Amino acid sequence: MSRQRSIVPSTVARALRALDRIARPATAHAHCDIPCGIYDPHLAQIGALTVIRMNQLIDGLQADDAAARNSFSRYVTVKEEHAELVKREVRIIWGDYFKPEHAEKHKDLHATTWNIMKLASQARQQVNMDVAQNLLAEVQKFAEAFWDTKGVATKRQPSNQAVGGELVVPA
Amino acid sequence: MVRGVLRAAAALSPVSRYAVEGPSMEPAYHSGDRVLVDRVTFRLRPPRPGDVVVLRDREQRDRFLLKRVAGPPEGTPPGGLWVLGDNAAESRDSRAFGPVRRRDIVGRAWLKY
Repeated sequence: MSRQRSIVPSTVARALRALDRIARPATAHAHCDIPCGIYDPHLAQIGALTVIRMNQLIDGLQADDAAARNSFSRYVTVKEEHAELVKREVRIIWGDYFKPEHAEKHKDLHATTWNIMKLASQARQQVNMDVAQNLLAEVQKFAEAFWDTKGVATKRQPSNQAVGGELVVPA
Repeated sequence: MVRGVLRAAAALSPVSRYAVEGPSMEPAYHSGDRVLVDRVTFRLRPPRPGDVVVLRDREQRDRFLLKRVAGPPEGTPPGGLWVLGDNAAESRDSRAFGPVRRRDIVGRAWLKY
């Protein structure tokens, strides 16, 4: 590092900066991103299904004994975590993967993402099956848009889990 | 017209201007710093550990990276160079993409301005 001459005389620097304004310099990237290129909306859908399942389990609680309270608090915790997981996964795909031309083609992409953020927060705040179902529906739309940008056709198939519901998967 | 002349001059010039973007070479280079790259030195001698170099991103050919030569890696083909960011926690470098070919090295970061 010490061998690096870091500063040039100010007149030279000024001349070079002036030149930069006339003809832009190339960019030398010194980035921290690791563009591994692996994105998949599957985990977001599992998160949304889990939120639905936790609403089912909370609604199904009968007793009010210690065991039921224990279950209740565990269901709420998992609901919180998975709603947050949905937000995280969708945020990464939205922010890191999607490009302007994708949003150009899928006009409602930003609105869908925004809805997911709002619904996932509501899903944490409330025990509300409508919110949970709407969250899954928006995440499914998001997943379909994602695969479409990769030129991959999709289908909706039963989750084959106790929760029911459908998953968007490559056809 | 002026730009055309500048482009022609740039193609012949022994130095090139680059704008640094990103934090991986902090604290030596910050995002926004300008650096003059000399394209002659590595014709006279090979890159040495400690040299800061501009190189072509092998995973995205139209991109250039700014990294520091850490040394010729062991067990790699002759001419392969191991490059690292100074700010290891925030750098994508040879740890991610492996050794770099000599012909992908554009030149030596010479002056910061």
